[in-house]
Amino acid sequence: MAYNVLIVDDSAVMRALIRKVLVISGFDIGQYFEGANGLEALAILENNWVDIILSDLHMPEMNGAALVKELNKHEVWRNIPVVLITTEARPEIINPFLELGVRDYIQKPFRPETIKQKLTGILGEGMATDAGQIESCDF
Amino acid sequence: MLAKLRAATFEVLETMFFLFPEGLEEDELMPARGPFLCSWVSIIGPQSLRLGMIVPESLARKMAANFLGISEPEVKQPELEDILKETTNMMAGSFLSKLEASSAFQLQTPHARWLSPGEEKPKGPAKRLRFDVDEELLELFVERES
Repeated sequence: MAYNVLIVDDSAVMRALIRKVLVISGFDIGQYFEGANGLEALAILENNWVDIILSDLHMPEMNGAALVKELNKHEVWRNIPVVLITTEARPEIINPFLELGVRDYIQKPFRPETIKQKLTGILGEGMATDAGQIESCDF
Repeated sequence: MLAKLRAATFEVLETMFFLFPEGLEEDELMPARGPFLCSWVSIIGPQSLRLGMIVPESLARKMAANFLGISEPEVKQPELEDILKETTNMMAGSFLSKLEASSAFQLQTPHARWLSPGEEKPKGPAKRLRFDVDEELLELFVERES
């Protein structure tokens, strides 16, 4: 089963890195979508099916917190798993997001296998299992 | 505090860039040729700080190439600034985590700019850490923000 992934980050280089990491992790990716903030993410969701959202916290226009609150208001979008990819891992900052329904978080800096482990845990089957493929990849 | 910043630097450079820095002593000379790129991020809180980094373009290019998995000539100029901003942001986040700083300390948006000749030389009361990264100089600074 291929999964559609939405990456939300105001840094183009970080979006490129996350995308690359997903590829080398061996996920069965259907479509990639990218947004530079929460507003762009919502616009993408209006017209596309997304299976998982990887989002930054601090973004202009609409940040990660506002995005999650908007998702929670929607009958369908509230069921899309959201994983935060953030420089902030302090419990006081992360816990409110987990209480809002965010599934998990990944702190930058991260290793490819960390993303793979988290998404495998959330999306379940369909992931590549060759960990050596990640270790040997010079991304 | 500097020990935590040093640890954050190692963590970010090793994990995201496959670069292995070596700390330099204060009086240890390390030749560096510009132009130099500076990035910084403010940490607003009970004691507001600014954490920043200065690197020569050649090291910024190497970092960007390693980060994006492309060759150095393929790196575009704006990507150098973006990568350095991300790096500073990650270092600041890791630094705050290691300090177990409360949520009263908030990371702000990172910035980057190219320095004018001579501007890279240390001045002011900032605390500094210097590293040898693949025979290139990387300098970190932390200063109080008014």
